[in-house]
This record gives sequence, structure tokens and C-alpha cells, in this order.
Amino acid sequence: MTDPLHEARQRVEKLKAAVRHFYDDVLPEDLKRKSVRHQVLDKADYVRWMRLLNDQGWAIGHWPKEYGGQAWSLLERFAFEDQLARLGCPWVIPFGVKYVGPVIYAFGTDAQKARFLPRIAATEDFWAQGYSEPGAGSDLAALRTEAIRVHATEGDHYVVNGQKVWTTYAQWADWMFCLVKTARGTQAQKSISFLLIDMKSPGVTVKPIPTMDGYHHVNEVWLEDVRVPVENLVGGEGEGWTSAKYLLKNERTAGAIVGMAWHALARLKALAAESPGPSRERTAVRIGELELRFLALEEASYQAVEAMMRGTDHGAEASLIKLRGTELYQHIAEAAIDALGLAGIAFDAAALHAAAPPPLGPLDAGGIIKDHLYNRAATIFGGASEIQRNIVAKGVLGL
Amino acid sequence: MNMDLETAQMLRDSAQRYADDHYGFLQRHAVLNDAAGYSARAWRDYAELGWLALRLPEADGGLDADPLAVGALMEVVGRRLLMEPILASAIVGTGLLRLQGSAAQQQEWLPRLADGSLKLAFADAEPLGGAGRCEVRDGRLSGAKIGVLHGDLADRLIVSAADADRGGAKTLYLVAPSSAGVATTRYRFVDGRGAANLRFAGVRAERLEPADGAPADAAIADVTEQATVAQCAEALGIVRVLVTTTGEYLKIRKQFGRAIGTNQALQHRAVDMFLLQEEIAALMLAAQRALTQPAGTRARIVSGAKAYVANAARHVANEAVQMHGGLGLTEELDVSHYFRRLMVNAALFGSRDEHFSRFLAAAPTVTETH
Repeated sequence: MTDPLHEARQRVEKLKAAVRHFYDDVLPEDLKRKSVRHQVLDKADYVRWMRLLNDQGWAIGHWPKEYGGQAWSLLERFAFEDQLARLGCPWVIPFGVKYVGPVIYAFGTDAQKARFLPRIAATEDFWAQGYSEPGAGSDLAALRTEAIRVHATEGDHYVVNGQKVWTTYAQWADWMFCLVKTARGTQAQKSISFLLIDMKSPGVTVKPIPTMDGYHHVNEVWLEDVRVPVENLVGGEGEGWTSAKYLLKNERTAGAIVGMAWHALARLKALAAESPGPSRERTAVRIGELELRFLALEEASYQAVEAMMRGTDHGAEASLIKLRGTELYQHIAEAAIDALGLAGIAFDAAALHAAAPPPLGPLDAGGIIKDHLYNRAATIFGGASEIQRNIVAKGVLGL
Repeated sequence: MNMDLETAQMLRDSAQRYADDHYGFLQRHAVLNDAAGYSARAWRDYAELGWLALRLPEADGGLDADPLAVGALMEVVGRRLLMEPILASAIVGTGLLRLQGSAAQQQEWLPRLADGSLKLAFADAEPLGGAGRCEVRDGRLSGAKIGVLHGDLADRLIVSAADADRGGAKTLYLVAPSSAGVATTRYRFVDGRGAANLRFAGVRAERLEPADGAPADAAIADVTEQATVAQCAEALGIVRVLVTTTGEYLKIRKQFGRAIGTNQALQHRAVDMFLLQEEIAALMLAAQRALTQPAGTRARIVSGAKAYVANAARHVANEAVQMHGGLGLTEELDVSHYFRRLMVNAALFGSRDEHFSRFLAAAPTVTETH
């Protein structure tokens, strides 16, 4: 009997070698440099990056073969993200290929699949995620954005009103997938629908939310009498919760956090060697503790992924990976700031945007600061740590 | 050790009143976005209020403020995140000038510090690796300094350098940043306060000549300790705001149909923030008292305070951001500004690690105390 996991592991080894080759020989130097230094990538950089991945068949490697994917196992997908991040590659923008794409092939109509999936794969369209609202962050069921169905001779459509918030890269988006309320009064989970909104529609306004790292990541998106054709509804009316849960599962089982922690840890070690503090021994212990925590994260993550593949999972593995991964990553970032000393507080956001050297310290010092600042969000966005712990408490411990 | 409660109270009241009226979040925002990175108007006001004469002797019209009174002002500096160089100039610069300036030098510069027409910055840290080691030869300064708080706007720099004319002893010099041979790279620290890196190529430097011939090393150590304790007070001001605003937010933010503060897990974390605030307050006071003791006997308390406060304040700031959710990261909410200020303070006047090392070196061992 062949062990499917054994085969998956073998494929992972090949994939990792291919990724390394891609990094060494294919990834353009400018993208590599910007990414490794945590400098600012603009939309054109990201589109180029995502298309490079797609050229390798990797942007949608996890999609089924009938939609152009390679039907990667969970292990391959996880290891792929991990490996990219270990090398310090740019962020794989997930909104199209990881989030909305799978929802469309799982719940969409044939027409929706034909219309959207190829463009998602090739990053012809840039997508944003319209989930959170000012009153509905962790509590998504409390969302208030309303879509009212209107019958009209030129075709039925929804009229959408409401406000989304923390919408990453909405300023670049052609499309936004959105959770909206399509019914009032009924149980929250049965009143929510999954709607695709063309960002060029009249009534869509994007306002930046400046964050403390001086970079434009997130936005408010205001929707005022936005007309959305009914054919942009994915799944049935009131079935958005099913899509949302399916998507969140994809969102949370992310190998990137493991690779990011590894990469940051490697950089921390180099920084400590370049500028030893008053006690080498204490610094070594601090880094050693982080490395030990990384080992636990790595082992627990991969064993969790394999448990999911075997069907022996307890259901909260994704929460474990996200909790331990993001919290460890933040601690490594703090240690890096400390290791940088004065260079860890000298910050020129304009230099980062211009891919210019920071005022002090190594070439990536400004990027390390920016990352430290923005990654405080890692334990907030995509299911806050508090929510993840609730999931484990309820789902596993039965509390 | 009697500390001057009256001066402390006077300064606290004056600072609070001024900051409430003139240094609200939006008013500060204007200062932050100004190219100068500080408010010349506020600086003039501080001079009129007497804050800039904080550390001047009473004989020279100063307040001769003790550590308690300095702390009273610095708590408000933290609470409102004042951008001006009170710490760099009125505490550190003034302190160094008093300890190391000759009578003539003090006579020349102290009145200008008090009236605000002179802003000092202390340039001490040098690039790693010793390439920019500062040295004065035949009265000319060469070398480099980095990360100089308010070095971008100072009218004069106090620069530490090896005096090659006197056997290489560490010595303090006054340097005009506009002098020929000074190259200044101006930038901001991550909290928005200005800073600079400086390169000196044969720059005319005026040696500070203490009447008692006291070594500069001791004066630097003394003033660094004063700055460290002042920063503890600043941190306390910040932490008090964060503890209060986070508590308020837990009461008003509703998710899942109730205030998030009804969750016991969050209540306990808020309590831990409060406990840290109380410990910071206690260590700050202990460190202020220690400063009134002779130099050399206070490293354990002063550096212990900084080491504890740096980590405690970081924890409070992290928790404040986390419990505010995405809002905690935004420019529009004060939480992220406090977060960044604490980050900068932790790295200035000795890192946490450096102070922890000093604490360990000074601490009596357990066997000695029992």
C-alpha cells in the first residue's frame, strides 16, 4: 500500500528544489532586493511577481486540474508558501488565487468560473476582500452592509449600501469580493451572501487608512447605492456564510508564517553577529529560545498539515499555526529591533518607498522597522489571536 | 532625602494645563507634519513657563528642579507626546553644561538655554566598528556621530571626543552645526522626533573646561542616569494613557452582542497592564530617589528601572494595540503614536540590554542579602 503522505513528501522535496532554482535564476534582482530588504513593492511589482509565479504553475498550484491547477496536496501548498517565505520572496497576494478563486470554483456557476478564474490565475484582475466592517471585525455575523435585490427590465441587480474597512490594497483592486446582508431579521448566518463587486462601479469610494509604518496597506471602502448584477452572486442568496467559512479555512492554513519566522530568525542571527550587544551570552540565549520555539512551530505545523491530510485532525490546527506563528514572528521582530539599536528607531518611510538606503544601519534596517510596526496586525487581521483561542477552547477543549 | 514636592506640583500643574490647552492630539499632529518636526511657538511658551530653566541653579533664575520635579514635567511630556527637545536640551544638554562648562561658558550659554534661544543636542554614539571615532587634535574635531536626538535642529552640539592634545581622554566639546566641515544627515526617528547623523572633518570645537577638572566620563554617566530616569517618567505618562484608553475601549467596543471588556480573558490582561503601570510608577520613584544619592551608588536602581520599564512599557503598548484591533495600528489613533515613542525611548540613553547588564553588575547576589 502506498502512503499518500509519502508521495506528497517526495513531491514537496522536488517543489522546494524548483522554488530555490526559481529564486536563484528566474526572480528578477530588483524584486528580490526590494523583498529581502522589506522595501515597498508597488502594484506593478506585485502583478509582475504573481505572473512570474503563474508562469511556473504555482500561483494556482493548489487549484484542481480542471481549472488549470496542479491539484497540490495541502502539504505541497503549505511547504511551497513556507519555502518562498524562507527565501524572503514577496508576499503571495492571496485575495484572488487563494481566497476568491477557490470560492468561485467550489460554489460558482459555470459562467462565473469561465469569466473569473482564468483572469484570477493570471492576475489580470487585482482582488480585494470586503469582509470587515467598523462594527464587524472578529464578529463577522454583525455585518451591516446591505444588498437589496431590485427587479429591472435591463436585468435584476442588487443595490449595495454600507462600509467595509481594513480592506488591503483596495486602492489597486479591480474587484472586491464582499460579504453582504441580503435579508433582514433572519439568523445572521442565513442572511449573508457572497457578492463580487466591480470596483469601477459608481458609488464605490476607497479611502486610505494610514498606518504607523507610513505605508498604504489598508482602506475604508464606502458603498453607496452600488448596482451589482445578480449574476455576481456566488452561491445562493443567504449562503454566503458557507463560502466565508470555506475561505477562512484557506486563509488560516498558511505556510508563509513559518517561512517568515525562519527568514526573520536567520536575519536576527546575522544582525546579532554584526553588532553584539553588551552580553553575547544573553543574546545567544534569547535567540536560542526563539529558535527552539521555531522548532516547535515547524514540527507542530507540518504534523498538523499531515493530520489534516489523514483526516486525524482535531479541527483547530489552523488556529495553532496562526497563533504560534504570528506570535513568534512578532517576538523575533522585537529582538531584531533591539539588535539594531539606534538603527532600529531611525525610520525614513520615503526612503523605503524609493528603495533607498535607511538613515542608519544595514540596508534592510528600515524594512525591519516597517515590518515590526505593521506586523503587529498579524495577530489582529485574518482572525485575531483572541478569536483563534476561542476556536480552540470551544472546538477542541469543549469549553 | 527631601524632595521638593512644591516645585514638582507646580511643574505638573503648569505642564498639564499647558498641554491640555495647546498640545491636544490634533495640535500635535500639526507639529508632527511640520517640516521642522517641532513647534517653535511651543518652545517659546516653554521658556516663558520656566521649563527650560528646569535644571538651572536658582541663582541663575532657574528652578533647580530635583528628579521628582523633572519627572513631574516628563510625565506630561509622555502623556501628550511633546515633540520639542526638553529632554535633549533642558535636561541632558543643560546638565552636561553645568557639570562640564567653565564659569565663563556657563555664563555665556545658560541664560540662552533658559530663554530658549539655544537648543542643545548631545552627540555621543558613534558608528559601529570604530570607523568614525571622534577625536580632537589641535582644537579640530574629526569623526562621526549617529542617532543624535534632535541633532537636526540643535543650535549647538555637545560632542564627546577623545582629546588627542591631552592623552586621548574623553572630553566634551561645543560645536556649531553650521561650522565648516560639519556634514549633517537629518531624519526622523520612528516616533517623528528629529535626529541626525553627523560627520566632522577638522571642525573648530570649543572644549568644555570644568573648573574642578572633573572627567567627562563621570559627567556623561551622571547625566545619562538623569535622562534615563526622566525617560522612566515619560514612559509612565505614556503607560497611564494606554492603560486608561484601553480600559475605556474595552467598555465601548462591542462584538458578539456585548462589550469585549466583559470577556474575563481580556479583563485579566487589562489588569496585568495596570499592574505593570503601578510597577513602573514605583520603580520610577525609586530611581528618582536614587538620583539624589551619590554617583556610583545608584546604578542598580536606575538601570534596573530602565531595564524593567522598557520591557513593561513594551508589553503595555503591544497589548494596547492588540486590544484596539486594527485601529491600534492607525495614524489617526493616539495608541500607535505612544507605541512608537516607547520604541524610540527604549533605544536611547542605553538600550535595555545595556541597562540590564549594569543592573546585574551592580546587584548584590542573593547570598549576600541573606
